[in-house]
Amino acid sequence: MRKFILRRLLLGGIVLFGVAFITFFIARVVPSDPAAKWAGPRATAEQIARARIELGLDRPLIVQFGKYLLDLAQGNLGYSLRTRRPITLELLESLPATIELVLISTLAAVFVGIPLGVLSAKYKDRLVDHLSRLFAIGVVSLPTFWIGLILQLVFARTLQLFPLGGQLSTEIKIMMEIPKVTGFLLFDSLITGNFTIFTDAVWHLVLPGVTIGLYPIGLVARMTRSALLEILNEDYITAARSYGLKERVVLWSYALKNSIGPTSTVVALSIGYTLVNTFLTESIFSWPGIGSYIATAVIGLDYPAIMGVTIFSAFSYVILNLIADIIIALDPRVRT
Amino acid sequence: MAAYFEINNLSVGFRTFEGIRRVLNIEHLTIERGETYGLVGESGAGKTVLALTILGLLPKPAGIIHSGEIWLDGEDLLKKSEAEMAAVYRGKRMAMIFQDPMSTLNPVFTVGQQIEQVIEQHERLKGAAAARRALELLEMVKLPDTRNMFKKYPHELSGGQRQRVIIAIALSCGAEFLIADEPTRNLDVTIQAGILKLISELQRDLKISVLFIANNVGLVNVFCRKVGILYRGKLVEEGSSAAVIRQPLHPYTQTLISAIPRSKSEKLKFASLVIKDEAEHGCPYYSRCPIGEPVCTQQEPMLEVLIEDHKAACFLAKGKLA
Amino acid sequence: MQWFLNTSKSLQPSIRELRLSFYLLNRNLLQRVSLLIIALLILIAVFAPWIAPYPSHAISETNPQDKLLPPSSRYLFGTDELGRDLFSRVIFGTRISLQTALIAVGLALVIGVPLGAVAGGLGGFADEIIMRITDIFLSFPPLLLAIAIAAFLGPSLTNAMLAIAISWWPWYTRIIRGQAISIRERQFVRAAMAIGTPMPRIIFRHILPNTMAPVIVQASMDIGGVILTIAALSFLGLGAQPPTPEWGLLISTSRTYFLNAWWYSTFPGIAIFITVLVFNLIGDGIREVLDPRTRKF
Repeated sequence: MRKFILRRLLLGGIVLFGVAFITFFIARVVPSDPAAKWAGPRATAEQIARARIELGLDRPLIVQFGKYLLDLAQGNLGYSLRTRRPITLELLESLPATIELVLISTLAAVFVGIPLGVLSAKYKDRLVDHLSRLFAIGVVSLPTFWIGLILQLVFARTLQLFPLGGQLSTEIKIMMEIPKVTGFLLFDSLITGNFTIFTDAVWHLVLPGVTIGLYPIGLVARMTRSALLEILNEDYITAARSYGLKERVVLWSYALKNSIGPTSTVVALSIGYTLVNTFLTESIFSWPGIGSYIATAVIGLDYPAIMGVTIFSAFSYVILNLIADIIIALDPRVRT
Repeated sequence: MAAYFEINNLSVGFRTFEGIRRVLNIEHLTIERGETYGLVGESGAGKTVLALTILGLLPKPAGIIHSGEIWLDGEDLLKKSEAEMAAVYRGKRMAMIFQDPMSTLNPVFTVGQQIEQVIEQHERLKGAAAARRALELLEMVKLPDTRNMFKKYPHELSGGQRQRVIIAIALSCGAEFLIADEPTRNLDVTIQAGILKLISELQRDLKISVLFIANNVGLVNVFCRKVGILYRGKLVEEGSSAAVIRQPLHPYTQTLISAIPRSKSEKLKFASLVIKDEAEHGCPYYSRCPIGEPVCTQQEPMLEVLIEDHKAACFLAKGKLA
Repeated sequence: MQWFLNTSKSLQPSIRELRLSFYLLNRNLLQRVSLLIIALLILIAVFAPWIAPYPSHAISETNPQDKLLPPSSRYLFGTDELGRDLFSRVIFGTRISLQTALIAVGLALVIGVPLGAVAGGLGGFADEIIMRITDIFLSFPPLLLAIAIAAFLGPSLTNAMLAIAISWWPWYTRIIRGQAISIRERQFVRAAMAIGTPMPRIIFRHILPNTMAPVIVQASMDIGGVILTIAALSFLGLGAQPPTPEWGLLISTSRTYFLNAWWYSTFPGIAIFITVLVFNLIGDGIREVLDPRTRKF
């Protein structure tokens, strides 16, 4: 077991290295003039020349890569062209907002998606199954950025039920002091007992949360359904029934526990999708997270920022998958 | 009749791509209380289908029960609802042991947990009481070091040990009727004897009726008092195991028995590989029968008593004894 | 226990199975409708210049006096901020989406399939290297790599297709490699090796053709996802550039106006949704039919 984790960590390290290499390749080797890209579209010739020195473009590629890795190891992702601030800092500032969204979508995926998948498998080929499969496929075919806009249009503008965007209403932002303990708005407002802010924050979470949660629900529901169908065909399920175990127990306890493996994998996958989906939804809802950050960076051709977010997201994804793999390894069958 | 377990005119079919195929056609089968009945048939004869039908576990869209009655202690199982079967019969009054002990244990639960789950379901025992009872059961099936065994996962056990665990689970709630579907098929020969001995002892001590399904007669002869021969879903011979083995009446039985060498000097007698055309309305065995005659193609022979308690379904056998 | 459910568990569909699946596919109403819609979409894409009422609006002509008009009999989907007929633009968008998706998937296949064949066919060191590279590429969250590549190559539809191809090929390599490994063990390959046929020929003449089926299936199932990706890239500004009437770009441009011009965001989005949906439905149908265990009798 320990050996497995160690081996997996080592593999993860190699993968991280490869990811760094690829991002380096994309940013430095691919463009015709990396210095120009680094200095930005409105750079003067002098700024470009300075960027060239700063990037070490006159040095051989290996040296450049080495410096790049060194910077990465220290958490130095460079400076944003737009704000001139360290990218790492800006990312960390934007992170909590995005984590809120990712958390919501994961919770939705697990607590709505899994039961949906189980019911779908149990009532296979009946109405419930067809409806939920249609839902799952439908939801996975929706462009996230579009559904966000539609939700805004219908629920915020037309029905006026939810706010248009942002994490908090402007009045509150002006009039009240925002608690800043962990950086997570929901959490902070809860523990400081500030319920006005809390409810306001929750209200603002609804539309972006739904937008970003739909895809994972569909994904997880589909995967759970197919995993469960396979499991239900196994001999030990028939055996369990022959012992007279109630169908409810057979399904939700006996069978489900066997699906932890594929389910963890798909939850990790959905988190990865969600991370990237935030790039598409946050700007729509003016949500101050990483997604908005990269959307702005792309429009402004802020290449250092783009690269910074890419590396950051890729690294998070790799680590996430690592955790998922380790969870799967906890399956007693893998223990040998 | 007041037989403990009785099957009457059971007809079961399966939906396939080419239509509905009849897999079981049993006219009459009885097992008394505390009696051991061995059901012998080759692969594909319908033995497992019978076991699943009795328990009400036929796969839903594919399996169809055309007609028939299965009586257990005065109640027709085929008329019971699914809920009643689960609550009253399965595990509590009748239980089943399967062929492949690895695939019939849930890989993600420990041995102890799996026994406890069944006990908690039927006996309303929980926690420590359930655990104690589970340990008792593990001892009953002669597993060593029960405390450690309790915490092990199925893949950590050997085949023989797993089968013992399954027997423990099956008998955990006092079932009086046990269906053993080729329980030793996937085990080494040396282990087989141990399992058979265990089942035999448990049967005697707990006074349960056993329907023992096997694919060779030799196994069944060991501890079954009565034996039935199944060919293509039809019971073609039935009688006490001594009688059937001493004097097999149906040509199929004769083939089965002659395939067991009895002494070193006796040469193996192989039936000639006869392949004739199928008899549409006649005896299902006709196409392989070495002594088939025209009368066999016209009507299907019924299972009839030919000598005392010894029944067979064959016109020619009947004719010989008349 | 499964003696009566004697189905073959081979994962590789034979030609007979593919033909069977096509037949079975047709029997389900939903799949039939999806096939119909796909055929319709292809027709729309091909005959766009003749179907669209204002084909020039889709390309460059503007019509400022009719700007931001709601849907009417004249402008079925309304007009955009430059007075262009949205209906015509959406129709031409069909052409763009289908074309680019096919090219992107095709490119990914061109890269991924030979790599997979070599990895599976040769095994050993080549296999290890190719698999490590594949793993690394697959470690990026979907879409992220495409975003990065498109950003640094420069925003354009062509670069977007390239970016997608570069992030998509590893999936195909994996599939082909798995297939190749199992084919490699078969008799006819061993026979070819025994006669002394050079490896490249073995790989490309014998192994490759037999591995194509599942990857073709997978590729067709992927088209929906690729269309979505292209729209996403264009939405971010990394794909199609104005005035190209790509659906994602239309939605992105519409953001400034849509609160007062609901039609502008709605119709392109519906177009994306329906297109991706039918491709996903067909893909799901194909997949379900090829799995012998979930087949109804």
